[in-house]
Amino acid sequence: MRDDAKNIETKTTPAAHETLKFHFTPVDEPRPDQENPHAKRTTHVPEVVEALREQFGEAIGDVVVYAGEHTVFVDKAQLREIARYLKDDLGFRYFVHCGGVDRFTDEDRFEVIYNLVNIEARKRLRLRVRVDEDDLHVPSVATVWRAANWNEREVYDMLGIVFDGHPDMRRMYMPEDFEYYPQRKEFPLLGIPGSLPLPAQSPGGDLTMDPFAAAHGSTPVKSYEEPTEEPDTDDDHA
Amino acid sequence: MAFDLQEGYLTTRVDAVLNWARSNSLMPMPMGLACCAIEMMAFAGPKYDAARFGSEAMRFSPRQADLMIVAGWVSYKMAHAIRRVWDQMADPKWCIAMGACASTGGMHRCYGVVQGCDNFLPVDVYIPGCPPRPEAVVHALMDIQEKIRNEYSVVQDYETGQRRPAPLTQNNNVLLPEGEQAITPDVLYNQ
Repeated sequence: MRDDAKNIETKTTPAAHETLKFHFTPVDEPRPDQENPHAKRTTHVPEVVEALREQFGEAIGDVVVYAGEHTVFVDKAQLREIARYLKDDLGFRYFVHCGGVDRFTDEDRFEVIYNLVNIEARKRLRLRVRVDEDDLHVPSVATVWRAANWNEREVYDMLGIVFDGHPDMRRMYMPEDFEYYPQRKEFPLLGIPGSLPLPAQSPGGDLTMDPFAAAHGSTPVKSYEEPTEEPDTDDDHA
Repeated sequence: MAFDLQEGYLTTRVDAVLNWARSNSLMPMPMGLACCAIEMMAFAGPKYDAARFGSEAMRFSPRQADLMIVAGWVSYKMAHAIRRVWDQMADPKWCIAMGACASTGGMHRCYGVVQGCDNFLPVDVYIPGCPPRPEAVVHALMDIQEKIRNEYSVVQDYETGQRRPAPLTQNNNVLLPEGEQAITPDVLYNQ
């Protein structure tokens, strides 16, 4: 036995990286009432719907369950009270998104959709509000969830639905003097000629009102004089 | 006049020297608007080495740039900012429309995107691609250089500079095609 052999210890404890545990995100458990193992619990919120019905009664309209997700149709007159109740009492503190739909029907043409999340209980809820073309006003929920501010401005910009009580009801994307609502079905895909001016073709000139000026023969002025003929190569000593 | 013929000499024109200097010291103004800007950064990076052409110095100030690379789709709102930056660049200046969106609107065939930045900018070179490879940008730069080397510069200025102001376009306001009814909010919404 060599002298230094006593200094060599056999390793009994594994290295630190071999003892690491991996914590996976827990999988959503299958719902007992459904045979589909992929049905999510997060979007299955019958207790929330019941609570809303008890509290508001007639203001809660149809409840649609599609793909295991609850969607609640809500009377727009009481939208803000319902939003306040959902946030303060039922814990839906996370306003994910709201958006507008042009259904292009005679009655109740527009629709505003709100996606809400209760983070602690891991529940999701979708609200829908029908808006008629003759009365394009919806109470704003930006005073309930501040996150709704820009989303409602976007809906106003794209569809022309006015949110009453919104702190800053301006257009979101389009220029403020734009006169149309581009996401409405009757709006032409390429826009309306003359509604969005392009810059002038030369400094100090008038705005270009034609969106296809180049196709119609307009050529912006270059900063240099282009040679009109082939350069004389005999004279070129460079 | 006594000078040593043994050492040799070259004759040239001021135009040729000036164009040579200009073409090899283009300073791009990176108007990066969308994903094309990523390829434009690769073009400026060490692998594609725009310094070979003297264009490695991207200038974010329009006063110090003479080549605008419009990289990405141009919205109607942004068009005014681009034109303003373009107008602030010192003459002479050149413009590259990089990628399908800047050249024609590309896949954004809609109300909010300008269908080609040549509707308001004098574009010299168009690059196809979505987005183009950095080699394509290098090629466009070489095309611009070729163009500059074939230009008049000082001779033209000396002969006709003061007497001939920059030509104004004849076609500032192209309105609707003839015979078509103008569309107004009244027509659209209140019929």
